[in-house]
Amino acid sequence: MTGNDILTPAVEEYLEAIYKMALDGQVIAARLAERMSVSPPTVADMLRRLSDNGYVKTSRREGVQLTKKGQETAESLVRRHRLWERFLTDVLGLEWDAVHEEACRLEHAMSPQVEEKLSEILGHPETCPHGHPIPGTPRARKREKEAKPLSELCAGDKAIIERVSEEEPKLLQYLGTLGLLPDARITIKEIAPFKGPMLVQVCGAQYALGQEVASKIMVKAKK
Amino acid sequence: MQLSCHSALNKLHSDTEYTIVLAGNPNVGKSSIFNSLTGMGVETANYPGKTVELNMATTSLDGMKIGIIDLPGTYALGTVSEDQWVARQGVLDGNPDAVVMVVDATNMARNLYIVLQFLELGYPLVIALNVLDVARREGRHVNINRFSELMGVPVIPTVANRGEGLDELIMAATEVARTQLKPKPLGISYGLDVESNIMKLTEAIAAGGLDDPYGLPHRALALLLLEKDPEFIELTSVMPGWEPVLELASQLRELIEKEHGQSAHTRIAGERHALAGLIVDEVETREEADRPGWGERMWRFTTSPITGVPILIMVLAFTFLLLYFVGSTLADVMSGFWGEYIAPPAKAAIVGLLGDNVVSQSLEWAVSGIEAALTVGIPYVLVFYILLAFMEDMGYLNSVAFLTDSVMHKFGIHGRAAIPIVAGAGCNVPAIMGTRTLTTMREKVIAGTLIVMVPCSARNAIIFGAVAFYSGWQYALLLYVIIGVLWVLIGLALNRIIPGHPTGLVMEMFPFRRPHLATIVKKTWYRFKDFIFLAVPILLAGSVILGSMLQTGILYRVADVLSPVVEGWMGLPAVAGITLIMGILRKELALQLLITIAIASGVAADAHGDLNQVMTNTQLFIFALVCAIYIPCAATIAALARELGWRRSIYIMIFTVALAVLMGGLVNHAILALS
Repeated sequence: MTGNDILTPAVEEYLEAIYKMALDGQVIAARLAERMSVSPPTVADMLRRLSDNGYVKTSRREGVQLTKKGQETAESLVRRHRLWERFLTDVLGLEWDAVHEEACRLEHAMSPQVEEKLSEILGHPETCPHGHPIPGTPRARKREKEAKPLSELCAGDKAIIERVSEEEPKLLQYLGTLGLLPDARITIKEIAPFKGPMLVQVCGAQYALGQEVASKIMVKAKK
Repeated sequence: MQLSCHSALNKLHSDTEYTIVLAGNPNVGKSSIFNSLTGMGVETANYPGKTVELNMATTSLDGMKIGIIDLPGTYALGTVSEDQWVARQGVLDGNPDAVVMVVDATNMARNLYIVLQFLELGYPLVIALNVLDVARREGRHVNINRFSELMGVPVIPTVANRGEGLDELIMAATEVARTQLKPKPLGISYGLDVESNIMKLTEAIAAGGLDDPYGLPHRALALLLLEKDPEFIELTSVMPGWEPVLELASQLRELIEKEHGQSAHTRIAGERHALAGLIVDEVETREEADRPGWGERMWRFTTSPITGVPILIMVLAFTFLLLYFVGSTLADVMSGFWGEYIAPPAKAAIVGLLGDNVVSQSLEWAVSGIEAALTVGIPYVLVFYILLAFMEDMGYLNSVAFLTDSVMHKFGIHGRAAIPIVAGAGCNVPAIMGTRTLTTMREKVIAGTLIVMVPCSARNAIIFGAVAFYSGWQYALLLYVIIGVLWVLIGLALNRIIPGHPTGLVMEMFPFRRPHLATIVKKTWYRFKDFIFLAVPILLAGSVILGSMLQTGILYRVADVLSPVVEGWMGLPAVAGITLIMGILRKELALQLLITIAIASGVAADAHGDLNQVMTNTQLFIFALVCAIYIPCAATIAALARELGWRRSIYIMIFTVALAVLMGGLVNHAILALS
């Protein structure tokens, strides 16, 4: 395969991190640096390499995004990681909290054939021991398809909060105290003109949420 | 006057027999209760570096003096926002004998979250179940006995804005303060798995025999540590013996995170909300109301784009017109009265005492200083404050913020800043004081700068008097266009330059309420009092200093120094420099003085002061433009310093002066180049 030459374990860790962060909304280089505990220039350097090799594209507006190739690579990495975690707990009987580190080491040295066999032995599990979906399974695909940012809903829509991005812990906590938590049922009452704030009803109270805030809340639309 | 919280709270404790804290969500009638229980003698105190204030006052019951601390209205106690932090610190430092939780009966589920937090903290507590009248109209019935039983505390039904139930409330609060009755809630516990972790940590704290920060119950500390509260983690990490507890807390947090795939904080918040929901289900029965109430309908009307935007434009125009016409009429009346009856005898008295010399002439300027305070202060400030308090109390401010947020966001500020900015066209001073409702310093600086650049009525008077009158309305319009473009550019630039990024809007929207007259009057009075204390001394001192500089001729020498800028760069006559400096007192003074000085220096032939004798139309245009942009008046500077601190307001002053000089010169040279 072309471009595979740059795929060292360190590079793969970056792809995985971008993949996971993208599930919670826009990926910002500065946040990526924080998550990887490296300096922003290091991240910029890595992003350039990834982008040169066609794994990611970056833009001012959209932040860092995985290309199709990047997405596939990251998905397969996450899939291998979570399969290994299953294997370590289910087959070898290791404790939950110990398996993440082990899996991080194992995931990088694995051929597609071994990956397939492992999934087969484990009975094609759909989630890792921590409850996160394993990419490539029907359940994960369904969940990814259904969850979308609150900011994409229209006035009158009803939805259930799936998760809130952990990018800004203070915002997450603040929304939590208001009852904007996973599994909360919400109704969009109104949207102000010119991409203004959304008026969201949750357990009897109504809040105006700016578009930026709304884009960080992932929801499942409800009929 | 501003006090530090620690000294103010200590003083309150020593002056009174019991101290009671008032707490609850925003907009639940907490301030109505506070205002009804206490008199006019309210003290406000600040924590250093925080803008959210604590209000405290005293009241008496059966000869006992009781201190009441009004916490800022918040949805929770915590560290995520300034108001939550101040509320928590206020109750921890205030160490009250009792807590009165004000709960909105129309939205009990959301209101109970903070009540549960207070129950965990273990203070003797009374619940005021407020706005019961509206709740009944909405078809909600609360089983008060059962509610009181479940929460383990007395529940007093109240309708605060009609004063119902307040006597019972204060008596119940004093009673629990006296008996130190601890809450005995029935079954306040969370989901089993979370609860078992709380228990483990609570036991570890108890077993360690450790010192408790603020004397809080062990369970409260366990929850705070599980929630990863940064302040309490820091506090306990330096206390002896806490290390293993912190270690355990961090393990338990990870355990919760693994089991639930959510942070422990989110999980616990979820548990509190779920519990609040269960309690409400048990104590409240609800008949479906046949149609939404008046408040709800009004509120939909003002937020829906089709009706809301026209209403907004009308309200903003009304605010502006009221300030402009009522304000300026009142200002004329005041200044006429002052000029007729007060100023001449006052000036005569000064001359009579000191003789006619430089000192008395300088002091006479103090009389003009008071006039400036009267003509700016009472008419514009009072009118605006009444309007603001009215809109705030009714709930309309939230609708404004909702509709204008997307536009304001481009400048890095919230929709909440829209009203002060428009009000700036009447007078900058109350507008700047109105930025207090903004949450971050970044927003306050941007809003403050933008407000200062809105031409106030005095500057509008110059634009009309110097440009529209002599050159025609088209030129006045051109001037407004120049200012408008500059305004937008500076707003956009500030948003880019100032570090940080705009905070996302998260704001509760609540149905309209009938405005409560006493609350409006009190709010207006407190803000107005602030203005008087702030502006009058500065205006007086500024008047005397500038007056003496003018009388002694120092100002003319200053004008000489400035003449390369004034004459060379902006192409204005040297006297204009003096009037621009005097305009710091009051902007209209610039124009009036121009006429006076013109007459005095023998330039102008007739006493009516034909300005064309002093300046050409082009010069007048530049003069008006400079006046509209450069430093705001003394009262505005004082207001800026009060809200933003001296350092930031000096930056803003330097910036506006530089911008005014730059623009004045550019327009001058552009005109020279064209002709």
